Amino acid sequence: MLDGVYGLIHGFSVALQPSVLLWCVVGCFLGTIIGILPGLGPAATIAILLPLTFNMDPTGGIIMLAGIYYGAKYGGSTTSILLNMPGEASSVASCIDGYQMARKGRAGAALGIAAIASFVAGTFGIVILTLLAPPLAEFALRFSSPEFFALMVVGLSLVVLLAGDSKLKSLLSLIVGLWLTSIGTDLFTGQSRFTFGYSELVGGVEFMVIAVGVYAIAEVMSSVAAGEKTQLLPVPRGLRNYLPSREELKACRFAFVNGSIVGFFIGMLPGAASSVSSFVAYGIEKAVSKRKELFGKGAPEGLAAPEGANNADSSGAMLPLLTFGIPAGGSTAIMLSALILWGFRPGPLLIVESPDLFWGLVASMYIGNVVLLIMNLPLVPLFAQILRIPLGLLFPMILGVSIVGAYAVSGNLFDVTSLAFFGVLGYVMVLLGFPTAPLILGFVLGDSMERALRQSLSMSGGDPMILIDRPIAATFLVIALLILLSPLVGRLRRARSDVVTAP
Amino acid sequence: MKRSNLFGGDVISGALLAALGAYITLASDQWTIMAHDGPGPGFFPLIYGVILLVGSLALVLMGLFKGPAPREEPLDWAGIRKALGIWLVFALMIPVMKYFGFLIALAILIFFFLRAIYPWRLVPSIIASVLTPIGFFIIFPTLLHVELPVGAWTGF
Amino acid sequence: MKLKHVVALTSIALAGTFAVSAQAEWKPSGQVNVVVHTGPGGGTDAFGRAILTALEKDKVLENTYIVQNKTGGGSTAAVNYLGEKAGDTNTIAIYSSVWVTDSLVQAEAKSTILDLTPIANLVLEPALFAVKADSPYKTLKDFTDAAKANPGKLKQSGGSVTARDAVVRNVLMKNTGADWAFVSFPSGGERVSALLGGHVDIMMIEPSEAGELIRAGRLRALAQVADARIPGFPDVPTLKEAGFDVPNVPQARGIVGPPNMPADAVKYYEALFAKAAKSEGYTKYLADTQLDNKYMDSKTLGAFIKEYQGNLRTILTGAGVKVVR
Repeated sequence: MLDGVYGLIHGFSVALQPSVLLWCVVGCFLGTIIGILPGLGPAATIAILLPLTFNMDPTGGIIMLAGIYYGAKYGGSTTSILLNMPGEASSVASCIDGYQMARKGRAGAALGIAAIASFVAGTFGIVILTLLAPPLAEFALRFSSPEFFALMVVGLSLVVLLAGDSKLKSLLSLIVGLWLTSIGTDLFTGQSRFTFGYSELVGGVEFMVIAVGVYAIAEVMSSVAAGEKTQLLPVPRGLRNYLPSREELKACRFAFVNGSIVGFFIGMLPGAASSVSSFVAYGIEKAVSKRKELFGKGAPEGLAAPEGANNADSSGAMLPLLTFGIPAGGSTAIMLSALILWGFRPGPLLIVESPDLFWGLVASMYIGNVVLLIMNLPLVPLFAQILRIPLGLLFPMILGVSIVGAYAVSGNLFDVTSLAFFGVLGYVMVLLGFPTAPLILGFVLGDSMERALRQSLSMSGGDPMILIDRPIAATFLVIALLILLSPLVGRLRRARSDVVTAP
Repeated sequence: MKRSNLFGGDVISGALLAALGAYITLASDQWTIMAHDGPGPGFFPLIYGVILLVGSLALVLMGLFKGPAPREEPLDWAGIRKALGIWLVFALMIPVMKYFGFLIALAILIFFFLRAIYPWRLVPSIIASVLTPIGFFIIFPTLLHVELPVGAWTGF
Repeated sequence: MKLKHVVALTSIALAGTFAVSAQAEWKPSGQVNVVVHTGPGGGTDAFGRAILTALEKDKVLENTYIVQNKTGGGSTAAVNYLGEKAGDTNTIAIYSSVWVTDSLVQAEAKSTILDLTPIANLVLEPALFAVKADSPYKTLKDFTDAAKANPGKLKQSGGSVTARDAVVRNVLMKNTGADWAFVSFPSGGERVSALLGGHVDIMMIEPSEAGELIRAGRLRALAQVADARIPGFPDVPTLKEAGFDVPNVPQARGIVGPPNMPADAVKYYEALFAKAAKSEGYTKYLADTQLDNKYMDSKTLGAFIKEYQGNLRTILTGAGVKVVR
């Protein structure tokens, strides 16, 4: 542990050199700006900006790349909050309460909370990374398919908390999500499922196409239908309204902790998408909340938890990369290949053989988070000006950006057609009282869950006991059971206190 | 968005979902459900297909016997027509993009919004419809090297 | 200066064979798109970006080359995309072995790799069989013997059923009569984690992925899947040397173009990558990642792909995978 502190001091001496610091700031800025554009997630953002970094010295270059990575994570939530348009997969959960906050005129506060939650959780993740990287990496290796399966069961059980007025409709919505995620090629047998003979469906339906369709396109449709005339949302006025109030921050206290831990923990497991951590953090937040009825109607903690998780996730993902040279996802995979190209040898010996790089990178994460907080709070009023764009121009622009994002996936108009399909689906679902969040949740978790189950059973030769006789997996299954029972507990409590709160 | 139940909405959506559930259940039967070393590709679809079928039939029955849930506010049919109209225009942009390219489709879309829905005067509408696609062109293909749909007839 | 050059060459050409030198003068104008089938950070994407950066630094490239990710269905989306670009001279793609297998098993594929224009092969990828460092198996034979003694009890982590690791496993099981389970994971990171965590017993891994873990004493290499020992692992026997008389299953990466690419464009790119294969940064990158620099020209690559697909069809059919073409 002390080694970590000494190493970190050394790291700061590297990362605080003016030129290195400058590149970190530039990286954070570019990452934020490009991360705002929907369809360009962190991985694509890093890939686009990668060539810029190759003209620098390796340490400066990789630190700038890391800055781009955190910046892209920060930027992803902006359009979720302002336009109900997720900028990347991991900010889909931020749409739920973030956009509702903005609708209530708290757009500035929501952006501020997102920035603060990102800062707190991001910093938490880095502290853990500094102090506990090697033992945590060993711990993460104990996770395999049975543990993943149990984790996904926890995730799916959250549906009872995401439910709207009708539990049955939530369940049906969840199942449609499970079905959508089965479309495509089965990894185990190479067989295609539910492709209806379309070669475009062999790869499955892209998550961003569903999320942008169901949230952004449907929102444009209903806003036009509601006859909103001049402004989509009230633009906050006065500095006070651009910052979260004391009550809002107080409501987020637990969310900061929850998002930090859940995000880091899920982020360090290779194969768990960052959309999983944000949804799980959201669900846990709602599960423990005393005011569940506010969720989905603009609860600040419902935004802080997934936003925090989303950023702690990026620190968590650095853990297997830096300790074993194993990328946890697309973004870290690009950084891995950049490290190799610069002549580093990422792996267990990196920390010993290239301490400058390792500790410089860790130190740059601290600096990057501070830079992003300082950079983002003043940017909040600027971003909120998006809401001043006249609606007649803003709506077609939203549709245009959605098309660009969908088309970028495979370069095929089929994805744009799917986007239109999911747009009308999202609109009709809300009209008929089917909540959309369970659909997204089913889509995010279904694939990993099916895979983990089948992997576990091929490991055990078909014996289902493997799912419950491993301690970590069993613990998760118990948690899932508790979550499933939690509405009952809530109902009992409410019945006892005899307080009926009508929304 | 206001939440409300369409008359018979539960019955219709339940019936459609039941059909989907039946289809999933039947389709899963073509694949291996259980092999000697664990479940096959048909295992998961079979489970959720059956749940979907049963659940949506329950929704139909509840809709039939309970009737539509009491509505908080009357349905805004004019609004729904308007929303679906917007969607139709959006969907029509796909063939336009195929032959004339994204930039022209976007210009048409903006022009439509500015003239038909949020009345602007003609000249500003034309300026906005021309300048915005140019902005898209500068940001996406030029600066970020992100491809836009190219028209088969226009070549851009 | 450039114009003068062209004029001079043209006058020579007029004196001699006009057509040939006119072809030699063809150059792409503007940006060249390089299609890959993985998302940002995926195997071929990382490879593509790395070599393009290296070639950019070596000043081999005369245009801007931009990686375009066309993901979906393994390689299917990318191949279909190229199919729609027939005749285009500013689009090339990096093919990898899944391009050859996918069209064999996916009935939905519109175009196949045989419709595309072969340009140049770049590398062959060796692979290693590796176990955890504290594993009881010291040689691959130890492992297959143990697998034979306990059928279905040992486990290998790997990719999809049509990936090379699954194919090599089938070949080895047939050769030895052993039987072990194959657990599919979508990403390399998950496969290595499962091995490091002791959840599976063996894995076929790329040398660049395994190198540092072996050096740090976390993994042990048992055998290499290559024709000859690769420089990074001089002490690890090849499958043949380890006593397994099985056909080598190569895995390759190279450059292909859309269908009906004009001959002068093919010639240009062929020459470009021939030059690339000798450039400094590129060869260094291949050495660092333990890839086998194996340039083939357009004609050789075309024949290679045909033969390769034929062999794979036989192997996959033998393993009970449904082949549609």
